[in-house]
Amino acid sequence: MIKTENITKDFNKGMRDEVTAVKDVSIEINKGDFAVLKGPSGSGKTTLLSLIGCMSRPTSGRVLVENRDVSRLPERFMTKVRRNTFGFIFQQFHLIKGLTVSDNVMLPLYPTDITPSELRKRAEDILNTLGMSDRKKFQVQKLSGGEQQRTAIARALINNPAIILADEPTAHLDTHLSEEFLSIMRNLQQQGKTIVIATHDPLVYEKEYVNLYIEMRDGMVRGAGRKH
Amino acid sequence: MFLHPGIIALTLGSVIVLLLVFFASALGIKIIRRWDIKSSSEEQLMLERKTYLVSTLVQYALLFEVVSIFLFIYTAEDIHTLLAGAMCATGSLNANPFGFPALYAKIAVFFTAASWIAVNHLDNKAEDYPLIKMKYKLLLAALVLLITEFILQFLYFLKIEPDVITSCCGVMFSEKGKGIASSLASFPPLPAMILFYSLFAVTTATGAAAYKQQRKPFTYLLSIFTFMFFIFSIAAIISFISLYFYQLPTHHCPFDILQKEYYYIGYPLYAFLFAGSFLGIMAGVVERFKKIPSMNRIIPAAQKRWALYSIIFLTIFTLIASAPIILLPFRLY
Amino acid sequence: MAINKHKNILDYTLQSLLRRKFKNTGIILVFTFIIFAVSSIILLSYSLKKEAGMLLKYSPEIIVQKILAGRHELISTKIKNEIMGIPGVSKVEPRYWGYYYDSGVRANYTIIGIGVSGIENNRLIKGRMPSANEKNAAAIGREIADARIIKKDIGDSLNLQNSEGRWMEFKIVGIFESDSEILTADLIIISESAFKSLVGMPEDTATDLAVRVANETEIPTAARKIKELFPYSRPILRDEVIRTYDAVFGWRSGLILAMFAGALAAFIILAWDKATGLSAEEKQEIGILKAIGWETSDILEMKFWEGLVISLTSFMCGLILAYLHIFLLDGFLFAPALKGWSVIYPHFNLAPFIDFYQIAILMAITVLPYIASTIIPSWKASITDPDTVMRG
Repeated sequence: MIKTENITKDFNKGMRDEVTAVKDVSIEINKGDFAVLKGPSGSGKTTLLSLIGCMSRPTSGRVLVENRDVSRLPERFMTKVRRNTFGFIFQQFHLIKGLTVSDNVMLPLYPTDITPSELRKRAEDILNTLGMSDRKKFQVQKLSGGEQQRTAIARALINNPAIILADEPTAHLDTHLSEEFLSIMRNLQQQGKTIVIATHDPLVYEKEYVNLYIEMRDGMVRGAGRKH
Repeated sequence: MFLHPGIIALTLGSVIVLLLVFFASALGIKIIRRWDIKSSSEEQLMLERKTYLVSTLVQYALLFEVVSIFLFIYTAEDIHTLLAGAMCATGSLNANPFGFPALYAKIAVFFTAASWIAVNHLDNKAEDYPLIKMKYKLLLAALVLLITEFILQFLYFLKIEPDVITSCCGVMFSEKGKGIASSLASFPPLPAMILFYSLFAVTTATGAAAYKQQRKPFTYLLSIFTFMFFIFSIAAIISFISLYFYQLPTHHCPFDILQKEYYYIGYPLYAFLFAGSFLGIMAGVVERFKKIPSMNRIIPAAQKRWALYSIIFLTIFTLIASAPIILLPFRLY
Repeated sequence: MAINKHKNILDYTLQSLLRRKFKNTGIILVFTFIIFAVSSIILLSYSLKKEAGMLLKYSPEIIVQKILAGRHELISTKIKNEIMGIPGVSKVEPRYWGYYYDSGVRANYTIIGIGVSGIENNRLIKGRMPSANEKNAAAIGREIADARIIKKDIGDSLNLQNSEGRWMEFKIVGIFESDSEILTADLIIISESAFKSLVGMPEDTATDLAVRVANETEIPTAARKIKELFPYSRPILRDEVIRTYDAVFGWRSGLILAMFAGALAAFIILAWDKATGLSAEEKQEIGILKAIGWETSDILEMKFWEGLVISLTSFMCGLILAYLHIFLLDGFLFAPALKGWSVIYPHFNLAPFIDFYQIAILMAITVLPYIASTIIPSWKASITDPDTVMRG
């Protein structure tokens, strides 16, 4: 499903403040995996996640998504791959204030040629399954933390992605909400989606259904293990 | 040169377009020199992002150019009252040798900018951007044309002097007016009509062939015929189409149909003619890009679409042009 | 054609503009004001031009004046028959007109004396015109009727001082009322004979001669013949008068526009500044959009719609305000600068006139520079890295 071959990502290359965020990383994530990128902050998890998710291009090495090399694609096509394949959940949710729940959920598909009515229907279906249908007309800043998170999940699902990438999703949640989040993810995995979570929260990586661990430190993979 | 709101607007507009394209060309030169699709350096990423800026600049420039063409014709129409002997825009444009060349330059810039956008559109569909260098060379050509247009337009307005009453002598007898040809040389209507409709038939037939099979002789022929049809349609408008619109046997002005008195019929008429001809010509022009591996599926799809729209647009144009001949009571023969 | 895509992005843009109402109101207000000012100038100059055209449509093809030492003199009416003999001339008529300064209201009036044929174009009158041999009847413009301390109406009398200082009494038989008042506002019409005795004009002379030529193409030839026959004469062609008016209006409005270029430039800088200085919130919003699947060109399209909505809103508001200003409030802000030759008129109403050309000019000098100035800032915003939101 996703494979990286010796990818390295430098920032500010050639300048005094050059940083190598990810160095020589080769990993493989299969369809249906529940993978965890584990490591302290600054270990390169987030950068690796953005490389996998076609948000940025590696300085060297290759990224293969569904056997297609995306590491040299121009932005225009990278975006297409990203929009068709991935759903993102960010640490701070990154919802747009002032918009309603359903508008936020529909955002990723605005620049596609979907009809407004179909888009609305899709958003409603997803919000229904997440138990958010009575909140769809609410402005997002008026929601509780858990509701904001479910909105963020709904937005990640609107394009029906094969892979869900989450960056420190439980950092701002209490235990109860974290558990709720994980159970939603588990559900999605059981429906056949691939889940990749970057985290240093034991609550996440100690879950029994996590079957792939990738441990990072200083931009490099320190260990990887697969559970069957 | 005199201060007239239309002239101020046109000069300002041209300066803006020139600045936009000048800036785009400067970026273009950098892209021609440094572009390397295989590199993942930050510089390449930045260049890639600059291509967005260039295409935005050119798109806006094209939009402004369309406005500018009509504004130019309208201004010529508006100032004809200032020039002794000029009966309509044609007269104003003939007032000095720069008028018509400036208009032709504008049309040339319009077509160049439009073809740039068409090529850009195709190029953006292929993952390796195969036409990028060629595209930016075309942009430099557009810049040269645009500078030419700017100079011609500036000279045209600079050399125009309104014929007004001066205090020393009241009358000039408007004799000067005879020097300004107020009409364009025109074909005799009947042969022009026969030629116009036969050319239309041939062009649409080739278009249909190119639509069915996007192969070499058809696409090239479509290009040639639509180009001929474009030139000849302009001649036909002057020769006989305008006469039927005006219901006058001698008024050959191709610009008056843009006026309110004729229900602005000139706008759809020229819009469909320009769009239809442009797409037809482009269908053949892009034929040679088929050789490029990443383009070999994109090009025929575009040609098919363009050929179809070309036929449709040119048919609508011909219908509009023929409407007064069929529906209105005026008869030339 | 991805119609839905454009519709969706436009939809989103409108939403986001509404969310930032207050931020955008400022720019719309300033832009509206600029467009209002520029549109007022264009509308006023074009309707003055149109007005002059309407006025001249009925005027004779050639007016023959006598010039003495470079100045306008009374012309002898005896040359009438000789002019009639020139091929193409269909009618020659003496005209009697002049100005009358009314010290009571400190205004200059135009006085016309009408002969047997009268004024052909009397569609403007309420009441009737004085007839040729009526000694004491007058038709006056609405402005004169209103300017007097006691408002005049039909049946009232009007006193004018003649060249010898004696007062002459005229009965008002008609008042001009029309939407188009530039011609009639300050007009007094009396009979030819009354005019002559009022101003003390010698017999067999007239202010000038109006020459009618039926065939347009023969006008210059006839004018040349007149000049040859009477070297002291100055034939003025109607077309030349129209051209002169047009040039003057064009030139005046052009001049004022050029003065406004400074204001426009200042506005463009403001627009640039506003577009460049994205708030942290907006920057983050664009970052989020890019992260969740919007492409650079989608953001550019959004910015294009944004510019279009802002400029078209301002354009509509500015244009409507200018229309009201010119045609309802008589263009009180700019009229003095443009009217120039008619500042003596207290005020007059203009016939509303607006067309595509004026709108195109207005767009080219306002919307176009604005849109152009937003391109680079929009692009800068659009190339935000999609992973910025993850880097926090």
